[in-house]
Amino acid sequence: MSKVIVVTSGKGGVGKTTTSAAFASGLAAKGHKTAVIDFDVGLRNLDLIMGVERRVVYDFVNVINGEATLKQALIKDKRVDNLYILPASQTRDKDALTTEGVESVVNELKADGFDYIVCDSPAGIEKGAFMALYFADEAIIVTNPEVSSVRDSDRILGILQSRSKTAEEGGSVKEHLLITRYSPDRVEGGDMLGMDDIVEILSVPLIGVIPESDSVLQASNSGNSVVLDKDSHAGQAYMDVVARFLGEDVPLRFIDAQPKKGFFKKLFG
Amino acid sequence: MELKGEMSMLNILHLQDIDMETLQKALQEKRDEAPQFFSQSPVVVDCSEVAEQCDELDFKRLKELILDLGFIPVGVRGISETAPTNLLGAIKDAGFALMRAGHAPSNSTTRGETGDQQGETNNTPDADNSAAAQAQANMSIQSLTIERPVRSGQQVYAANGDMTVLAPTSSGSELVADGSIHVYGALRGRVLAGARGNIDARIFCHSLQAELIAIAGRYQLLDESDTELKGKPAMIRLEGEKLIIEPLN
Repeated sequence: MSKVIVVTSGKGGVGKTTTSAAFASGLAAKGHKTAVIDFDVGLRNLDLIMGVERRVVYDFVNVINGEATLKQALIKDKRVDNLYILPASQTRDKDALTTEGVESVVNELKADGFDYIVCDSPAGIEKGAFMALYFADEAIIVTNPEVSSVRDSDRILGILQSRSKTAEEGGSVKEHLLITRYSPDRVEGGDMLGMDDIVEILSVPLIGVIPESDSVLQASNSGNSVVLDKDSHAGQAYMDVVARFLGEDVPLRFIDAQPKKGFFKKLFG
Repeated sequence: MELKGEMSMLNILHLQDIDMETLQKALQEKRDEAPQFFSQSPVVVDCSEVAEQCDELDFKRLKELILDLGFIPVGVRGISETAPTNLLGAIKDAGFALMRAGHAPSNSTTRGETGDQQGETNNTPDADNSAAAQAQANMSIQSLTIERPVRSGQQVYAANGDMTVLAPTSSGSELVADGSIHVYGALRGRVLAGARGNIDARIFCHSLQAELIAIAGRYQLLDESDTELKGKPAMIRLEGEKLIIEPLN
């Protein structure tokens, strides 16, 4: 039984694409056949983050328009088995996405035996975001520890539970909250919202906290998924998210402020 | 401003006798069954069953009688628009609006006009009731219970009744009810009770963090309130024109 998971946030720049890439890679690394679809038509990024930008021949919109088959458009990841990327079109806009077109692609992926279909949503609450969440069974809501991000996540949660296909049929999409770019030191200093506050405001179960980390930027720029960096805290935190998603009981990590290094530590440490 | 043709809930008073004493007694009895409910509620007088005797009907006195019992007389219906001018004049002078008839009771002569239903339901067939008048309560009370969080950008409306929310509500959300509103969680957005003018509607919440509170059109930004109950369990009610915020214990 395949599952469609949307990675969404409302606000831009919070880490949806990074999360989509890391989460899909993590699922695939655990042996599940996974496809990740870039819904950000016109502002294609997922291919860059995943390091496949030079291998794009056909894209999502080509498949929807019947100009290419799904097999032709899917790019197989070279580092992780079971991982396939369906890139967005860079030359079109969101109007190229139709409900019927998206549905046929999702259904074909399901028929092809994909276990998980990860939909990387664009920012905003317009057509692209709406299309990305419409067929979702579960949703990962990506939030940064600041008020505008939290409010936008709240807004997208409302849309998810009122306008998705599952909601229209009277069901409810399973929600997971993922806090990214979390900096325990700044939370302690009062500059950032704490994770307990965010969970309280959104009242959505927490699936993970990804610490602010340079390794995320390095991984993005080099086109390597951050989960493949075994030393990175962010990569480890993403793998924890995948484990929790698959039902394992994993405690939260990297959420406490580091003790300040003393003078001698700084000097000699 | 806006002027719109809209249907509202009205009580229809079906006259079966033009004797004012009988009417007064019967209507008072009906009112005393639910004085709170009928207080200040609008009434339309239906004359279709006494159409023949309408000339003898004292509309001025009828209006006073309705007012005295705490109703608000709105109009008269069941009178043909081709009725004698002096009758139409008397209705107008008494301050009634002349309304076109809804569906007339089957035992009376059907008058020409149709449509324009006032939303009343004759669900209690007490036509055999000896009472001269029946004030038909036509509101079906409906409760709305919401079990999931009300998110920013979402609007929930409980028509004709109370709303109960068993989850938190977000800033940027809007709860509207014709009756009272209960929130068993944090109340963060806008909350408007008594949306159609029910001044007895109240707001109850576990944690008062609302942006705007309103009852029967009287509103207040919570930030402009000097209440010490922010973030605490609270009840809000209307006293005159003033919103009163009280602790909920």
